Amino acid sequence: MGNKQTTFTDEQLEAFQDCTFFTRKEILRLHGRYRELAPHLVPLDFTNSPDIRIPLALIVTMPELKENPFRDRIVETFSEDGDGNQSFNDFVDMFSVLCEASPRDLKTIYAFKIYDYNRDSFICKEDLQQAVVKLTKGELSAEEVTLVCEKVMEEADLDGDAKLSFSDFENMISKAPDFLRSALV
Amino acid sequence: MDVPSCVQQQQQTEEVWTALLQDSPQQQGNLSALMSTFSNQGFLNPAYHDSETLELDKRSPSRSRHTNPYAGGGSRVQPDVYPTESSLDPGRGPWGGLPRQSWDGGHGIPMDLLSTHPGNPAWRPDHNHSSFQITTEAHYQQSLSIQMTSLPSGNMTIRWRGHTMRRMFQNTDPNLQLAENAIMAQVENEEIHLVRELVDMSTRDRIRAIRDLPLSFQEKKHIRSQVLSFMSSKKSRHFTCLGDCSEHVSRSFRRCGSNVRSARQTLELWQGTMKEIGGKFGTSVLSYFVFLKWLLMFNIFSFLVNFGFITIPQLVLDHSPNTNISFRGLEILTGAGYFNYTVMYYGSYSNHTLFGAVNYEMQLGYFLTIAVYMVLCGIALIFSMASSFKSNYVLADSSSGAWQLLCSWDFSITERAVRQRKNNLRIQLKESLSEKAQREQLTSSEKLQHFGIHLGSWLLSTSLTVGCGASIYFLCSYEHQRMSDSSSWSLLQEAETLLVPFVVSLMNMVVPLFFSLFSKFEHYSTQRRQIYALVLRNVLFRMCILGVLCYYWMNEVAIKYSCWESVVGQALYRLVLVDFIFLLLGSFFGEFLSNVVGTRLIPRLGVPEFDVARNVLEIIYAQTLAWIGIYFSPLLPAIQILKFFILFYIKKVSLMQNCQPPRRTGRAAQMKTIFTALLFFPFFLGALAIVGYTTWSLRPSEHCGPFRGLNSTFSVVEEWIDDLRQIPGSSWVVFIYQKIIRSEVFYFLISIIILIIVYIFWQVSQGRKQLIVHLRQQIVNEGKDKSFLLEKLQNLQKSQPNQRPKQNNNRKSKTRPHAEDLSSSGSSNSNAMVQVLLARQRAEEEEERLRTRGLPDPPPHQHLYDTSDMPQSSSSALALAMQARQRAESQTRGEYYSRAGFTENHVNYRHAAEEDVNSPTSVNSVMMQVMQARQQAEEEEEELKRMKRLPAAPQNPAPSSALIQAMLARQQAQNEYDDGY
Repeated sequence: MGNKQTTFTDEQLEAFQDCTFFTRKEILRLHGRYRELAPHLVPLDFTNSPDIRIPLALIVTMPELKENPFRDRIVETFSEDGDGNQSFNDFVDMFSVLCEASPRDLKTIYAFKIYDYNRDSFICKEDLQQAVVKLTKGELSAEEVTLVCEKVMEEADLDGDAKLSFSDFENMISKAPDFLRSALV
Repeated sequence: MDVPSCVQQQQQTEEVWTALLQDSPQQQGNLSALMSTFSNQGFLNPAYHDSETLELDKRSPSRSRHTNPYAGGGSRVQPDVYPTESSLDPGRGPWGGLPRQSWDGGHGIPMDLLSTHPGNPAWRPDHNHSSFQITTEAHYQQSLSIQMTSLPSGNMTIRWRGHTMRRMFQNTDPNLQLAENAIMAQVENEEIHLVRELVDMSTRDRIRAIRDLPLSFQEKKHIRSQVLSFMSSKKSRHFTCLGDCSEHVSRSFRRCGSNVRSARQTLELWQGTMKEIGGKFGTSVLSYFVFLKWLLMFNIFSFLVNFGFITIPQLVLDHSPNTNISFRGLEILTGAGYFNYTVMYYGSYSNHTLFGAVNYEMQLGYFLTIAVYMVLCGIALIFSMASSFKSNYVLADSSSGAWQLLCSWDFSITERAVRQRKNNLRIQLKESLSEKAQREQLTSSEKLQHFGIHLGSWLLSTSLTVGCGASIYFLCSYEHQRMSDSSSWSLLQEAETLLVPFVVSLMNMVVPLFFSLFSKFEHYSTQRRQIYALVLRNVLFRMCILGVLCYYWMNEVAIKYSCWESVVGQALYRLVLVDFIFLLLGSFFGEFLSNVVGTRLIPRLGVPEFDVARNVLEIIYAQTLAWIGIYFSPLLPAIQILKFFILFYIKKVSLMQNCQPPRRTGRAAQMKTIFTALLFFPFFLGALAIVGYTTWSLRPSEHCGPFRGLNSTFSVVEEWIDDLRQIPGSSWVVFIYQKIIRSEVFYFLISIIILIIVYIFWQVSQGRKQLIVHLRQQIVNEGKDKSFLLEKLQNLQKSQPNQRPKQNNNRKSKTRPHAEDLSSSGSSNSNAMVQVLLARQRAEEEEERLRTRGLPDPPPHQHLYDTSDMPQSSSSALALAMQARQRAESQTRGEYYSRAGFTENHVNYRHAAEEDVNSPTSVNSVMMQVMQARQQAEEEEEELKRMKRLPAAPQNPAPSSALIQAMLARQQAQNEYDDGY
């Protein structure tokens, strides 16, 4: 109880609870994890919501993200500045979306953003190629990567503009029931 | 205007330009990003983000939605106000003016500009501000009333999502920071909308809605605090004390609820273990454990039901079991002997009535418990099967491979599985690539060969199945001959009873191995088919064995033994137990040994994989045994619970120690559907049929069990109904029984009705399928239309610029002096944007002229090149002018500074611009901007016509498409411009 009091105020916890898919305990645990990443940076006391950001390089060392091929993109997507420096709020946000309880639609939106490497709100061929390379350890030859991307485009691009819009993506996701299984906490 | 701001603006300009001057697709991407930034709710609208060209269609609704305070004033007001604004506001980027206009419907000054520049309020007229306020307020009210009638949450989420998507994308693109201010007001509007909607919801809905918003936590918190403050202010106004109280109560309730939730989470069985498994082995292996857990829950339920409604009354009734037989230890395996006289089996239940507060008839209790349990099981299975079928199978498109890439990544895996997973994905992708090529190359002889192999393996597997079934039958009859119907068996006799279950379990373990060996020789075209074939063979095999056993029990055992139900119960007990032992052995030999062999002796084999399909079939088989046995041995679920519980841990340890993640993973969600379907269709229905047959037509044993002395178990119900006849108030039960349950006509009618309904639904689903095909075709067609139109536009554009060089010679010579000073730094990057810039400048000159109305020569201090080429005033050029004014003016100003030697950048641009006119290239972006200008151009034209300054341009009266209109406008502008020469 004492720990709870010093880390967050009740108000803060309630706000976290209302805005994310986590319970009080999980928020505190997340704070613990966040603090683990950079003990000298993150204070125990968050009651006055200090403005602290942990750089991308530290966050991707978490076991939940360490092996994920898209870890950099995930962290970037959820950071407010887009460069992967996450405040605690961003951090909670990220795990809230990734957790089991979050609805599929929400996950779809963020997944689209994660795949959209060049942030042009379309998944174009370059994005796909990057994704393929990341997923296959870069062991496919360039032609194979291109072939795969072409195939995906062919199947998923309904309107024929050679890039996947969000609705194309959504449509494709709806056919893949076990998409984005969750990680963690 | 101060100098630094101008410099800053130029730098911003440069940023945008460098971004846009990159290669062509990149540019297109940037532009579309820009567009989508300004899309209001279009992000989720599939029609919208198909292309830039549809921007035109989007514009008209946006005009009606955002009431512009200047709309009434018409465009006449514009020229007066606009220059003032732009001169006072030089910090805005070149793009500030352009998309904004497109979004405000092409009307003069966008209101957001007014509202988002509090820094220089001096020029802002007061009445403007107030009118803005009023309009937006009215807008809120209006939309609020609409939302009241419509579904608030769905409405809101879609709109809000579109809004936030735009916001998110905007934040990520540095180029768009410039435009941020322009949409700020709109964002605020929507925020207030959202807050109002949220206030109207119940607490639970509100929390859910806030959680579902695709926003960052900071924004969510902001919205939440707004909602809360709004609510508290509203409440305090109306009823202070009551509001406070209810707020307090609801808050404490919520806290309590969340505590309960977290407590439930910690209590949930094996939660951590599940996470661990999912993390290490992926979702498909996890699905096995989830299934196991689900079955365990099923058994716990059935144990509770049976124990509560059958065993407890029996224990209350008669708690002195016949204990003249001592416990010998072997009973644990065989289930015979001592157990025979406990409540374990059917035989030891009595047919008495428990007299108490309520009379409890054991017969009826026994029968109804089993019946209700079976029905409940069936309903639960059907529902879980149907729902998972709906969500996982119907939507899934089996032919698609695209999901493999983007959706198949198992985000839950965290550890060593990852590298392998990447490998697997690579292999899968390669295979799917080669598969297509391979399929066409099959010759007819190869096809024949494949067919032969399939036929052979099917024959072989079927004969194996039949052989096993036959041998089991003979083994049973052999045992049948040796066994005597006595209550006390010798130890050896008792041990002999283990022979049949031993053989059955051995077969269950060995034969599937043969089946999987077959699949090595067969070459199925897809992995999926291979798995299906394997599963089908295994299912047939197990069904066959169970069928033979049941036939034996129903026909031979039922005649020979005096208390045959107990004997069958014992046999089932043995089967369950021996099966368990074999499962343990199987995971030891199958996984541990092959791990040792794979890692130590023959490294070629490698670490074994966890075969999900085989393991699932094993537990399905085990569950079927429990279902069959529920009538004969009501406490069998207890054994089953223990079995599954231990099995979970054994499998987990074996998995962690011995196995590697499966190399090929099916789609986990589909797998679960298949498991549930398998569990239901052959196995549960089979068990139900057997239990039903037993209760309906087999004669219960004479001297033991609750149904002793009855013709069949079901006649319990008949007797009960007969009893009910004497009770006056219950005639309706009798009626129902006689007219419905026992009447063939009723079943006949019911089945006909059900058939008709099924047929109708089938037709409906067929119709939907066709509709889907049509809609898909439509989408494809739309895409084709769009690309066709775009192509046409481009061709048109390309054919135009031939006339241009002539016009520009003049200007070039005039501007040369300034350009030459800095020609060394001139960039020769050819880009359409430059052209647009020029067009705007030209347009602006025209506009200046229009403003001075009739003055032949514009003020010479305004532009360097005003005197050089003064095109005839044209409607479309004017339209361009509206967009370009701001930019052009700042540019001119920049030019002054550049001459003074302040900065070179913008002069470079200008220089580049002049150069580029010589080699005009047409790029989409030009067209797009022209299109955006089109509407404005039309309005301007009206005015021009009135002023009779030039003959009315031929205007297409009813253009079929906005695109074509835009093309026309562009052409018109060009032609008129050319006519000037």
